[in-house]
Amino acid sequence: MPKGILRNIAIRGIACAVPKTVVKTSESNGLFGEESVSKFVKMTGVEQRHVASEKQTASDLAFVAAQDLIKHLEWDINSIDGLIFVTQSPDYIAPATACVLHGRLGLKKDCIAFDVNLGCSGFVYGIYIAGSLMQTGDTKRILFLGGDTSTKGISPLDKSAAMLFGDSGFATALEHDEASQIPYCYYTDGTGYKSIITPAGACRTPKGSHERREFGEGVLRSDYDLYMNGAEVFDFTITEVPNMLKSFMAEHNISHNDYDLFAPHQANVFMLKHIAKKAKISLDKLGVSMDRYGNTSVTSIPITICDAYGGKEQGIKKVLAPGFGIGLSWGTNYFDVLAENCLPIIETDDYFEDGGIVVD
Amino acid sequence: MNVQTKLDLLEDMLELEQGSLEMTCKLESLESWDSLAAISLIALVDEHFEKRLTGAMIKEFKTVQDIIDFME
Repeated sequence: MPKGILRNIAIRGIACAVPKTVVKTSESNGLFGEESVSKFVKMTGVEQRHVASEKQTASDLAFVAAQDLIKHLEWDINSIDGLIFVTQSPDYIAPATACVLHGRLGLKKDCIAFDVNLGCSGFVYGIYIAGSLMQTGDTKRILFLGGDTSTKGISPLDKSAAMLFGDSGFATALEHDEASQIPYCYYTDGTGYKSIITPAGACRTPKGSHERREFGEGVLRSDYDLYMNGAEVFDFTITEVPNMLKSFMAEHNISHNDYDLFAPHQANVFMLKHIAKKAKISLDKLGVSMDRYGNTSVTSIPITICDAYGGKEQGIKKVLAPGFGIGLSWGTNYFDVLAENCLPIIETDDYFEDGGIVVD
Repeated sequence: MNVQTKLDLLEDMLELEQGSLEMTCKLESLESWDSLAAISLIALVDEHFEKRLTGAMIKEFKTVQDIIDFME
């Protein structure tokens, strides 16, 4: 049962990067109507989001975050034993983007590197995967990276998704530490795989229709665009997440006075407040970054932490961070992090110029 | 909870004037009955009635009466 305490692993630092281009939600007034857009903003909280250029990928954003974090922590590049990249926006169908990042960062060859395909729950899952790799004590330092350019896989004519998602990448530095422990729990309900899905473009449906068809007012989508059943996801989340938090906190004797920051996946501010209320979490401790960055998928937990602490605070902070969504997949972690090692969010337009199509 | 209180909750949720909603009112005729309203309704019945409402169940609702009947 994936519930318990992960020992021997500490989070040393977190960095995040977003593209420089900001798109205001109100820019969609002409397309979806002002009233509709302001209702959307009122519910989701998204006032604006950062959007990547055509050439910039999730790995480019994670790369910049990783460089910043390695430099800040003064980690010797040869001391890094592993690289995990969590994304649903890989650079290529193959190879794994983690290998591309390994090369770009100049990591040593005796290093494990692989991708994990998860979205909203990806940050909490990555902590467990990295922690598991460290259990033998031979792997001491892992760069746990991730990112998504969700905006590239969404129809701009789908009002249910077009204004919600932002692009971003993150880097987390994890280190073997016998004095540290991270409580965790993880869940999956694969019967809900259709609730959030990009149906075409991979092996099940390699050739779908590129034509955008209408699915209700203001919702035009092709088979290559992300589909999200908002009502199903909302119902799932407000049922499962508060229950998970209540039992997790009881199991690990975590009281509401113990944690400094509640940093949930940034799905929808109305939903986050509802979850907090049900789980008896004070709204004062609720971290919100999606008003300025949107739903940033796998980065939404680290970006909320960096937004709260980056360049602002010092000292050890205790963070309660549940992730939930696409899969359906959910889980939570409770960990310590040094506020001064949660870096201010970087804005960058950099991309990997050698990453284009190979014509050998 | 009496029917009037339930109607008040719905009117508040749909940002309609008090007393403007009738039981026979068809949901599709309401301009503010959309995908965001569906999400608000899921939260509303969870909070006030501790009942779970799925997307599929919402699709079956045709009139205000159908929602009121669910609110128990």
